[in-house]
Amino acid sequence: MGILGFYLRKLFNIVKREMLVLPSRIVVGLFFLVLLLLPVVTQDPYVLRILVLTSIFAILAASWDLLSGFTGQMNFGHALFFGVGAYTAALLNLHAHIPPWGSIPLGGLGAVLAGLIIGIPCLRLRGTYLALTTLAFPIILMGIVFAFSNITGGELGVSGLSRLSGSRLSDYYITVVVMLGLCTIMWKITDSNTGIIFHAIREDEVAVRAAGINTTRYKLLAFCLSGFFAGISGGLYAHFMRIAGPSTLEVSMSFTVVIWAIFGGIVTIYGPVGAVFILFPLLEFFRFWPEYRMLMFAVIVLLTLLYMPDGLFPWLRDKVETECPRCKIRNVATRKTCRVCTAPLD
Amino acid sequence: MGVQPFLEIEGLSKRFGGLQAVDNVGFSMGRNEILGMIGPNGAGKTTVLRLITGILKPDSGGIHFKGKKIVGRKTWNIVNLGIACTFQNMRPFRRLPIIANVMVSCLSPRAMKRGEWVKRVEAKAMDALEFAGISDMALEKASTLSQGDLKRLEVARAIATEPELLLLDEPFGGLSPAETDLMAKSMKRLHKGGRFGRLHSEGPAMIIVEHKLQQLMKIVNRIIVLNFGIIIADGTPEEVVNNPQVIEAYLGQGGT
Repeated sequence: MGILGFYLRKLFNIVKREMLVLPSRIVVGLFFLVLLLLPVVTQDPYVLRILVLTSIFAILAASWDLLSGFTGQMNFGHALFFGVGAYTAALLNLHAHIPPWGSIPLGGLGAVLAGLIIGIPCLRLRGTYLALTTLAFPIILMGIVFAFSNITGGELGVSGLSRLSGSRLSDYYITVVVMLGLCTIMWKITDSNTGIIFHAIREDEVAVRAAGINTTRYKLLAFCLSGFFAGISGGLYAHFMRIAGPSTLEVSMSFTVVIWAIFGGIVTIYGPVGAVFILFPLLEFFRFWPEYRMLMFAVIVLLTLLYMPDGLFPWLRDKVETECPRCKIRNVATRKTCRVCTAPLD
Repeated sequence: MGVQPFLEIEGLSKRFGGLQAVDNVGFSMGRNEILGMIGPNGAGKTTVLRLITGILKPDSGGIHFKGKKIVGRKTWNIVNLGIACTFQNMRPFRRLPIIANVMVSCLSPRAMKRGEWVKRVEAKAMDALEFAGISDMALEKASTLSQGDLKRLEVARAIATEPELLLLDEPFGGLSPAETDLMAKSMKRLHKGGRFGRLHSEGPAMIIVEHKLQQLMKIVNRIIVLNFGIIIADGTPEEVVNNPQVIEAYLGQGGT
């Protein structure tokens, strides 16, 4: 009992002193709670279905941010990882009868392999050239999919996969918990020493080399990590939809990911995740006016980017929080003095 | 075989299109030397430094560091052998805090191996900043620094890898006279070697490229003069300033 009490008090202290002092952290905590407790309020299959898809795409958008936002390797073909993950999981499930809990991580590993295959030739390229080259890879894979239609099902895709789990509710919990877990891991990676090197590579690669860091290794690491997370989201998608089709490799898929990430704010991880949770349900909501659906979507994205060039979430965060000029700790905007060093905030 | 020279360069050449930037440059230096490298603009000084660190690949010639051939090696391997360099046009990671700039160097394999006993990389980075004199601004973004502080950041980044050979590209550029004196003093202190907090100084040999000759003369014990990619003089500071070829290169023909 004593030990339990100790840890409970520790948890309580962390929540009180670290979490409840900043609005952004409260919002993140609420986000976790709402997602985990939502089925208590509603179990409407349509709502759950949308949230499952949103969670899957949130992993995808965050993984794009890890590669292109942090490391600066502009990847316009992120659908490749998604598609490879989906097809690998689907084929393994269908032919080798591996259950979803095995085939989805293996799909992620397949995407890591894809990351290595495109990462190695792309290492010499930078900026626009890298973007154009990566754009080509999903198109190449789509050609391969159509060429071997007896295995991949061609345009129809691989169908008849086993369900993610028994019911819609357990599907929901699996994807949401996986999403929250993976996004936390991604955020942790970017917050670590490796994350600092990723940042530095984006800023000035030559200077990182001159600091004695093997940039090739770190860039490949970024490709592989990003590929792994995107592959897992692809595998989840395949098992949830019970089909892995060529639509997962489409160019529009790659660009949608980029739009989500930039809308939410790159180099944050939480930005792209939040953006998917706003934009994906919004697109569903606009189904009420089918003719104007894409138009309204585009207008909202454009207006946001026009007035918040850094993305929606960094902009919001700067509105509610200020940085202490002395110790650089973030504070609620309403405070007059810094909560740590008591320097006046203005 | 005699004593292995610390750094030996022979027949180094580099061509940029129609411009022969470095032409058959060769010299060697000892472990304890501080070598000044001067010459008019475009003489190829920076190019020589970049060839040594492997940022540029030479067209021909060889560079041996402690008996190891380093031409053709990757920049990070050369740095991990113990050569560190600063950039003339400062290249900080602008959107990162200053301490993170130095932490990148501290995370290189060489620095990690030599500082295994250091529990926190941040602490070591802080000591490098302390040495360079900008530790009070450790949490500011690098984009907020002034020119002089950026120079110091470059130095902090270079010494964080604990090099044996330090290549400084215009360390006094953009500094006020007082700051220049301070920087020259820290150079000397660094060259003596010792421990600065968690940071260990090997007492590195240095190659300093500089235009401010007066300050340079005070710290170096040997000067190489380059002009149009060719070494035109090599000797002690007194010998070099009295060399007629050097005077001609700087002031033009009949300039005495």
